[in-house]
Amino acid sequence: MVTTAEAIDYKGKKVEFPLEYAAENEIPDEELHEHLAKPSTERTKRLKARCRWKHASAGEFVEKGVCAGIERMRLLTEAHKASEGKPEVMRRALGLANILNKCTVVLQDDEFIIGYHAEDPNMFPLYPELAYMAVADYLITDYAPQPVEEAREIMDYWVPYSMQSKCEHYFDPEDLQRMYQVSTMEAPGFATGYNSIVPPYETVLEDGLLKRIELAEANIQMAKDKMAEMPWDATKGLAWLDKIDNWEAMILVDKAVIAWARRHARLCKIVAENFETDPKRKEELLEIADINQRVPAEPCKGLKDAFQAKWYTYLLCHAIDRYASGMAHKEDTLLWPYYQNSVIDKSFQPMTHADVVEMVEMERLKVSEHGAGKSRAYREIFPGSNDLFIISLGGTLPDGSDACNDMTDAILEATRNIRTTEPSLMFRYSKKGRSKTKELVFGCIRDGLGYPSIKHDEIGVQQMKEYGKFSTEGKGATDEEAHNWVNVLCMSPGIHGRRKTQKTRSEGGGSIFPAKIMEVTLNDGYDWSYADMQLGPKTGNAEDFNTFEKLWEAFKVQYQYAASLVIRCKDTLRYFEGKFLQMPFVSSIDDGCMELGRDACELSEQPNGWHNPITTIVAANSLVAIKKLIYDEKKYTMKQLMDALKANWDGFEEMRKDFKNAPKWGNDDEYADAIIKDFYEDIIGGEMRKITNYSGGPVLPVGQAVGLYMEIGSRTGPTPDGRYGGEAADDGGISPYMGTDTKGPTAVLRSVSRVQKNQKANLLNQRLSLPIMRSQHGFNVWHAYMDTWHDLNIDHVQFNVVSTAEMKAAQKEPEKHQDLIVRVAGFSARFVDIPTYGQNTIIARNEQEFGAEDYEFIDADL
Amino acid sequence: MQFFKIPETDLDFEAGKGDCIRERRDQKGRFWLSKPVFETDPGCEEMRPKP
Repeated sequence: MVTTAEAIDYKGKKVEFPLEYAAENEIPDEELHEHLAKPSTERTKRLKARCRWKHASAGEFVEKGVCAGIERMRLLTEAHKASEGKPEVMRRALGLANILNKCTVVLQDDEFIIGYHAEDPNMFPLYPELAYMAVADYLITDYAPQPVEEAREIMDYWVPYSMQSKCEHYFDPEDLQRMYQVSTMEAPGFATGYNSIVPPYETVLEDGLLKRIELAEANIQMAKDKMAEMPWDATKGLAWLDKIDNWEAMILVDKAVIAWARRHARLCKIVAENFETDPKRKEELLEIADINQRVPAEPCKGLKDAFQAKWYTYLLCHAIDRYASGMAHKEDTLLWPYYQNSVIDKSFQPMTHADVVEMVEMERLKVSEHGAGKSRAYREIFPGSNDLFIISLGGTLPDGSDACNDMTDAILEATRNIRTTEPSLMFRYSKKGRSKTKELVFGCIRDGLGYPSIKHDEIGVQQMKEYGKFSTEGKGATDEEAHNWVNVLCMSPGIHGRRKTQKTRSEGGGSIFPAKIMEVTLNDGYDWSYADMQLGPKTGNAEDFNTFEKLWEAFKVQYQYAASLVIRCKDTLRYFEGKFLQMPFVSSIDDGCMELGRDACELSEQPNGWHNPITTIVAANSLVAIKKLIYDEKKYTMKQLMDALKANWDGFEEMRKDFKNAPKWGNDDEYADAIIKDFYEDIIGGEMRKITNYSGGPVLPVGQAVGLYMEIGSRTGPTPDGRYGGEAADDGGISPYMGTDTKGPTAVLRSVSRVQKNQKANLLNQRLSLPIMRSQHGFNVWHAYMDTWHDLNIDHVQFNVVSTAEMKAAQKEPEKHQDLIVRVAGFSARFVDIPTYGQNTIIARNEQEFGAEDYEFIDADL
Repeated sequence: MQFFKIPETDLDFEAGKGDCIRERRDQKGRFWLSKPVFETDPGCEEMRPKP
């Protein structure tokens, strides 16, 4: 059965909502999304059919045969042993060079963009130099690298050298034990190895690596000339030593990268001349060989060059040199000059717009095959996906004009056609953005991809300017550069371009979990429901808080403890990354590192300290319920509440109803919103802002829940918002708790818009009515909603447009619903690969219907 | 598996070094792997250099 939206009376007329595509009247609700994929060519159809997905579900890889490779860790270890005594940055360069010189390179049938990061397309690499715990996890699974005995030896070798060992020493074991519970705080990055980066792709595409080598060589010569100046001045002259090491390391790795790319070229040529029988593919392989011979050594001249050089840079920065999640770049801006050359001017690698769409579809499938050697915990928190891959589009250029172009449109068209969970897209929404492109953005959202997620363009620009003020190097983003921002991972913005980009995750992502912090705040810092241990400072028991303000202050202390510890771990890791985990390839492609002779991990020109309170709304709604029922109305005592919570509300059903029915976030409720606004601004943002991180800037909250809202929910006992122990927490930084935003979509916007101070990067999940979005009015409604959202100065929003009927059908017959995609948090996932616990959290989200009042509020043109 | 000598003009040329090329096929399709080896190494079954 097909559901259509009911007609309404609006502005004195009756408005009907027929489906935009009449053919959909024949498609039952339960199977709609299986009809939406339309790969644009036979080739991308084939590539999708044979895609080697690396999705995980409940921490297990979904497809058989996916496993860790041993080659990278073996070659890195071999180089490390052989380079003892050399400068550390050179040891890192020799490690990467050894991998690139000796690794297996891979070429698959049908692909045009080539290159992989392991010795077999079903494998992914591991990183023992980061965190031995993350490797140990694999050795006891079916995904262990083989031979497993050798892998264990390698892991043991790295224990004393790993980031984990170097950092742990500086922390109280009790604090670390608390972090390893992953309930009030995320485990330290030096134990998980989780990381992200914004590679300066621009220099690779614009300059080519041969030019970067020339620059480094000239800098070394300049340094040597300076050192030879007389009279000798050690206070200045000795500083050149480290710089020379850095430049020499850059040269070494860039040469290795060029040789590695050319090995791919040679493989294509060999296959073309010795194995391939199809004359068309033979010709294509020779073309690919030519491209890989030239790039990334030389500047890119056409769009095919650019896709290939970008892919190599991605592999190096995110998988081969070290692991980094994400795919941060401004793809439309980056590729636009090459689109102009190839499609408009046809001056090099001439092609049509349709050819570009196919290239993007092929790139998306490459990403879908990309496996990440993450720890089990991190596989669990991205259920139904490989990893976080987020590309940014749209927004404004440095001169303030619209940045959307035909490359933006090609990316959106391909995304909608090929229908993969990854990479996700983020669209920078500006009112200057052209309507044609916004319609394509809407097309992806309406089709239920869950992306692009939308960020407010002007807020992002402002954030870059604000952070730039704190640059310890005095080189923060200029007003023009502030327009060059992308999502670093799923939510936090950061600069893209030739310099000042974020190089490592010390700048962001440390997670703190207010829901569990609320629980321990009520219990003198003790966790009675999960770990049975002290998780924070002793701040008193709930019964001792005779005023709401005392509870507020106790929470503040617990939160500050967690936030400071998490960020101290991040910064300690950053300190050691600069000394032992240098990234000479990244340094070589960053203009700042190249100019200054400094390593990418060590140098920070633009602070970008976004950290991550998740499950804030469970805590916030709990505070509202406590204030109303205990302190204001005095209907219950704190002791009664604590008794009920300890019993998981069992025997306290009426009392639970009262707490459950207390005002909730997202309903434009003045009582709740006033408390929650203060909670966000004074504690979540205010306390965090007191912290100064490695880069010298303040730390700000970026609520990006990923799948952690499920993990933390399962580890959090019953809470005063009426939630049972173990139930999932709220699914976004500022999203209403699932099913509790009952006053319509614009009430949510009004609530969220009240929070303005000390933060502007909180994730807002909304589930919109599928029949309205797929109706002839869909785009107009969405566009009016988005303009209202923009006017309310809200930073983020993302949508699920998927029916409950289809999700329930997929739960019953998962094999028939492989193309059903949903937005979980900062990522989209294949619905059937999400564990049932997580699936139910998506189903439970309120599907927002628009009423006449909502249409009036957004001034929809119906 | 087949062994192809690395041309003298290439950056990674070394005497006796070549690419060991393996063709693979599994349920997802066909692919090729290339790994650098020396003529003296075991591993690439047919170490007869190709032109």
